[in-house]
Amino acid sequence: MDSDIVLWIVVATALAFDFTNGFHDTANAVATSISTRALSPRIAVTLAAVLNFAGAFLSLAVAATIAKGIVQADLVTPAIVFAGLIGAIAWNLLTWYYGLPSSSSHALIGGVVGSAFVAEGPDAVLGDGILTKVVVPALVAPVLAFAVGGLGILIIYRIVGRQRPGPVVRGFRLGQILSASLLALSHGTNDAQKTMGIIFLALVSNGTLSENADVPTWVVISSAAAIALGTYVGGWRIIRTMGSRIIKMDPAQGFGAQGVGATVILAASHAGFPLSTTQVISGAIMGTGAAKRVSAVRWGVAGNIVVAWILTLPASALVGGLTYAVVALLGTEGLGPLVVSLFALALLGIAGARRLAAGKTLTAEG
Amino acid sequence: MIVPAVTWSLLWQTIWVSFAAGIGVAVLFSLVILASARASDARRAGNDVAAAGFGALAALIFLIFAAGVILGVQVMLTK
Repeated sequence: MDSDIVLWIVVATALAFDFTNGFHDTANAVATSISTRALSPRIAVTLAAVLNFAGAFLSLAVAATIAKGIVQADLVTPAIVFAGLIGAIAWNLLTWYYGLPSSSSHALIGGVVGSAFVAEGPDAVLGDGILTKVVVPALVAPVLAFAVGGLGILIIYRIVGRQRPGPVVRGFRLGQILSASLLALSHGTNDAQKTMGIIFLALVSNGTLSENADVPTWVVISSAAAIALGTYVGGWRIIRTMGSRIIKMDPAQGFGAQGVGATVILAASHAGFPLSTTQVISGAIMGTGAAKRVSAVRWGVAGNIVVAWILTLPASALVGGLTYAVVALLGTEGLGPLVVSLFALALLGIAGARRLAAGKTLTAEG
Repeated sequence: MIVPAVTWSLLWQTIWVSFAAGIGVAVLFSLVILASARASDARRAGNDVAAAGFGALAALIFLIFAAGVILGVQVMLTK
């Protein structure tokens, strides 16, 4: 009975993370398209939500095993996963509040690393895995995207610079719709699978499923629905930051950032070195701005984003670790996860009610 | 901690593949727009032959671009 309670709490928390992942990462696919008026805000998030939902069904190989190669897999328990998810959700909500784009995947890895460290000690954490799968890609992604995006926009301006603005603007807006669609589909395929992997692992560790079982249909549908719903709700604060606060972009820059960014993400995946979508698109936006004029980039905003990237792993690890400590104190077999999740829900409810009462909600309409 | 050699080789491969693909996409899509704009200009000037030629060129480059998009979807599904 107790293990069933923990199982369903982990499932609900994984779906909550999936939802925050959706609304936190909406900006990657739609921010530049909204900024350059290639798409209206509501149509942009609707398109992204539908493609995220569809993307979740395109590939069901649960390869995106949580924190694979980063913590000792055989030591991971449902309580560790639960605490890690809380760490990731907390970081996603905090960075959303400040309008800062940061990697949801890095937050999840950080959360699980922190909870595994507190639960099992330093031996549970694989330092080489963190270095090669998080630190090095995090250093490479923004610099590479900055360089490719900057060079790309210079070439674009060179090729179309003397044409009449009308066809050029229309053309790049169409290109942005295409690249936004590709990014949204890719996000659904990649990130919804992480949630499916977490739920599948929880079901296996609880003995509900065997390791060789297929992913249940309800897991696929609920993961797809959660990420799509999160995407549709839209993290408008982050969309505003990526779309207009880093640079004021024209449609060519929008395509340069998003189209070239999407290409870099897929090329890196093809080369076997997956990069954070958030870091690539943000870096490409900065690159397309700086290539036009260095002062076109609001470096203060860019600096805040970089600080958020640096803090993602340690901050989510800290929350994940603290959460596990509280869970362990109350009991990992039922009471701990139950009390923590009720406390988290109460906090979210109070914060949401206060924001609604203050009328500060940012929406598609502005 | 030392970054394993396999990571360095993947890193270099990622950098050159990203540059090649990213710049390739920027060039191809810009050429589609350039050819389309030239076709539109030729049509406005009443030069139907040039308009058809630029239109066909735009379509051809777009097909190459579309093949790149299809490759991207394939990468997405097989990674």
